[in-house]
Amino acid sequence: MTRQSDFPRAAHWLLRMSPVPRDMRAEVQADLHELFVARRLDRGSLHAHWRLYHDVASLWLQRRPAQHPTAPTSTFGLLGDTRGDLRYAARMFARQPAILLLTIVGLSLGLGIATAAFSIMNAAVLRGEGVVDPDRAPGVLRATGRSVATAWSYQEFVHLREGATRTQVEAVNQDGAVVRTTTGEADAPVTRLTFVSGGFFSATGGRAIAGRTLEAADERLDGPPPVIVSFVFWTSRLNRDPQAVGRTIWIGRTAATIVGVAERGFTVPSNTLIWLPLTSYDAVYSTRPVVTPPKVMVQVFGRLFPGVAFPEAEAQLSAVAGSLPGVPSTGESAVRVRLDPRGGLGRMSSSNVLAITLFVFAVIGLVLLLTCANVATVLISTAITREREMGVRAALGASRWRIVRQLVTESLALGAVAATVGLVFAYWTIPTIGTMIEAPAGADLAPDFSVYIFLGIVTLMSGVGAGLAPAWHSRGADLLTPLKGEGAHDRRMAPRRLRSLLVMTQAAASVLLIVLATLFVRATWRAATVDVGFDPNELYAVSAGLGNAFSGNDGVKRFWARAMPELQAVPGMAAVTLAEMTPFAGGSKTAITRDAAAHVVHLNRTRADYFATLGLRILDGRTFTAGEIAAKTPVALVSQSLARAYWPGQSPLGQILPQEIPLPPTTAPGKTIVISAPRPVIIGVVAGAITARLHERSTFAVYEPLDPGSEVFAQLLIRIAPGTTGAIQQMSQRLRAIDPQVDLRITSVAAGLRQEASRPRMLATLTGFVGIIAIVLCVIGLYGVTASVVGQRTREMGVRIAIGAQSSDLLRLLMWESLRPVVVGVALGAGAALLASRAVLAVMFFGVSPRDPIALAGAAVILLAAAFLAVLVPTRRAASVDAAFVLRQS
Amino acid sequence: MKGDRLGEFEEFTLLAVRALGDSTYAVPVQQYVEKVTARPVSLGSIYAALARLEEKGFLRSTMSEALAQRGGKSKRVYSVTPSGLRTARDLHRLRERMWHAITEGGRS
Repeated sequence: MTRQSDFPRAAHWLLRMSPVPRDMRAEVQADLHELFVARRLDRGSLHAHWRLYHDVASLWLQRRPAQHPTAPTSTFGLLGDTRGDLRYAARMFARQPAILLLTIVGLSLGLGIATAAFSIMNAAVLRGEGVVDPDRAPGVLRATGRSVATAWSYQEFVHLREGATRTQVEAVNQDGAVVRTTTGEADAPVTRLTFVSGGFFSATGGRAIAGRTLEAADERLDGPPPVIVSFVFWTSRLNRDPQAVGRTIWIGRTAATIVGVAERGFTVPSNTLIWLPLTSYDAVYSTRPVVTPPKVMVQVFGRLFPGVAFPEAEAQLSAVAGSLPGVPSTGESAVRVRLDPRGGLGRMSSSNVLAITLFVFAVIGLVLLLTCANVATVLISTAITREREMGVRAALGASRWRIVRQLVTESLALGAVAATVGLVFAYWTIPTIGTMIEAPAGADLAPDFSVYIFLGIVTLMSGVGAGLAPAWHSRGADLLTPLKGEGAHDRRMAPRRLRSLLVMTQAAASVLLIVLATLFVRATWRAATVDVGFDPNELYAVSAGLGNAFSGNDGVKRFWARAMPELQAVPGMAAVTLAEMTPFAGGSKTAITRDAAAHVVHLNRTRADYFATLGLRILDGRTFTAGEIAAKTPVALVSQSLARAYWPGQSPLGQILPQEIPLPPTTAPGKTIVISAPRPVIIGVVAGAITARLHERSTFAVYEPLDPGSEVFAQLLIRIAPGTTGAIQQMSQRLRAIDPQVDLRITSVAAGLRQEASRPRMLATLTGFVGIIAIVLCVIGLYGVTASVVGQRTREMGVRIAIGAQSSDLLRLLMWESLRPVVVGVALGAGAALLASRAVLAVMFFGVSPRDPIALAGAAVILLAAAFLAVLVPTRRAASVDAAFVLRQS
Repeated sequence: MKGDRLGEFEEFTLLAVRALGDSTYAVPVQQYVEKVTARPVSLGSIYAALARLEEKGFLRSTMSEALAQRGGKSKRVYSVTPSGLRTARDLHRLRERMWHAITEGGRS
């Protein structure tokens, strides 16, 4: 734009700064000038100047809309430029489809795995169970001078609720029962139920999306129990029936009416599918007409009234607990209340999965790091070949910011495509990963809004990060130099360092993942071949689901008294016994201590023939006698390992079992810890056996006689003689003949063991899969970098050959320079693997040391071999260059 | 001012383009509107009104040949489209009808 000689200079500059598009400025200036000249003639110079600046100012105030669709004005400039960037990116990628494909595959895998893992974590931990303000809803613990327990009787709870003035006190009891949605439904699954007090929903903040929630008036004994079904139940079992409210379903032994559907995401406690009033407990489990309030243990929690502090609420509740009927108000047995903010509802599940959560998040982080590094490497490789193009753009007036924006737009466009593919991939893998980390049944794993937010943020970050790397690479570079031809290439060291760093990062991440995968694979192998101390085949655990059906009378005792001889008479039945815990079906742990030597032991209460049924030899002493069981004499059998730990070199028989100490809540969440007295006397020593978690390898066990009063919760353990068929069916028939509505759940102990052993296998699959992707990505990146680097050094190679270097010398030089970052990365990755496996994963590796030399060496060899091949191809091409040809070229 | 309705200033601008005959440009339009309305009108507001009218399809514009008296610069010349003319006429009729009603109301 040139300035007419008599057009004021200031107005000319103001016009240049105005929002008038560049291509229209000349026209506008001509108009202004024409008016200026006319006004000067008409009204004089002062008036013309004044009006001229007024007109120029009006160009700011009076923005015009886009006048020509082809030439965007400044208002839409950014958008139009971005569209141009995108179009350009599309053209560029169309020229290099291989790079496009590789990058998108890598990014999709990374984003997909990260999204899947995040949505599981989100469902399991982050989303919580839907309790509003859980910090103000502590668990109410029953504390005496000798014990702290989470369980209260229903009557005690009612007493607390009536006396509480600072807190809303509510109670839950979790159980399971067969739930049928139609009368004829066969093989209906056992569903998680929670019996709740009337104010449960108001205290937790749970809302209904249809019908209503439970209210205090629902705590009644007559009529069919009102139930609330969860969103998951409504979806999976009722097919989102719009007429669900008012429908009848059959829970255990009773028909119940659905009065409401809980909102999505409300699953308190522990992925509950159905909520019923506590007063309907007997209706679900009992055969007798329900007339009295339930004799059931409940877990109590409180909701502090606004403005009430924890100590105030605790003191008030303790005063109420002090007046519990039938409990001394002073002394060691006096009951006090302790409020535990960490023991409230919706808090227990999170501590259980913390280790796995950390692990999965670490894997997510690694995968994302790897993906970003890979995409950055590929983009840098292309950036090197695009230096000339960048130079042309700079020469045509593109600012550095403009070029950076082009690069970031390209990687964001890649990221957007990859995010879409990744989301599909995530939907596909979520159920698989859910199984791997043992997501509880009934958990709603479908990605929600926060998952999409996560994916968006991660895509944005990786896109910008991967796009900035090439921009960083070209920083400080003279963008015009490349235009002068290859001979004028400047030799910068910084970009090479960045590339090496990226390759190193990828190598380290790959090694880390491969080491972990190898460890998991070896752990799987060990787990599958471990000797648990007994033969799990032909061994079955049977839960009769008696619940409180016979509570308060001798019904349970009579049931088992009739059932046991009948079962023993079944052909092919080798042994039958009752025990509180059956192998690999969870277990109660406690810690005992003597002389400061504390050991975590598994505590089981069994009948005398438990050991014979399981196949555990009694090494010393004897088993329980009928008299001891009936008289509740404090006696116990201990495992050989425990006997050796406490009484090395002497007989444990006749010794007193050391004092129990309560475990910290994180070790045994939700378990009732009662310190019982007097301490039992040891009467026998049993061979060691692993009956709980396989990876703990602990054979420390204490067996106490099964109290006949507790048989209601006992499980049947049966061993079938090998080669017989039909024993299970016969057993079911005979038990149903005694009680037609018995709720039998038969599980194979061998299957339980297999599931235990499959835990490391699942993790092995996850890390192995990710590890293989890691290696593939690493090799792709390495190949790209090496090819472009040696391509740039062709001239140097020509000179070297011309002054007498051998082809093998060049090969060695190039190979070493390309492989050096890989070697450093392998070393770093191995170090990280040692730290990671020791810090987080030691608990999960069964029978494998974290410092497993085979795993480390294997990972290093695999990666180095792959890297060697990736580097060999381009370097050989470069080393066999024709010196005369190259030198002639320049 | 949405759609195909005319604001007051836009109406002035449209009528000015029509009055000045086809292939007029921003400077005469500014001078004409300023003269007729007897109030200072900025060039920026004329540009904005012309652009809006063109966007609504009431005006169309072409670039003229480079002109010596403008220092070799070309100019954007405007002419009223049939739809622009129709809209202006409709507006005029509407006003007439309303004034008619007022006058009649005044008589009775």
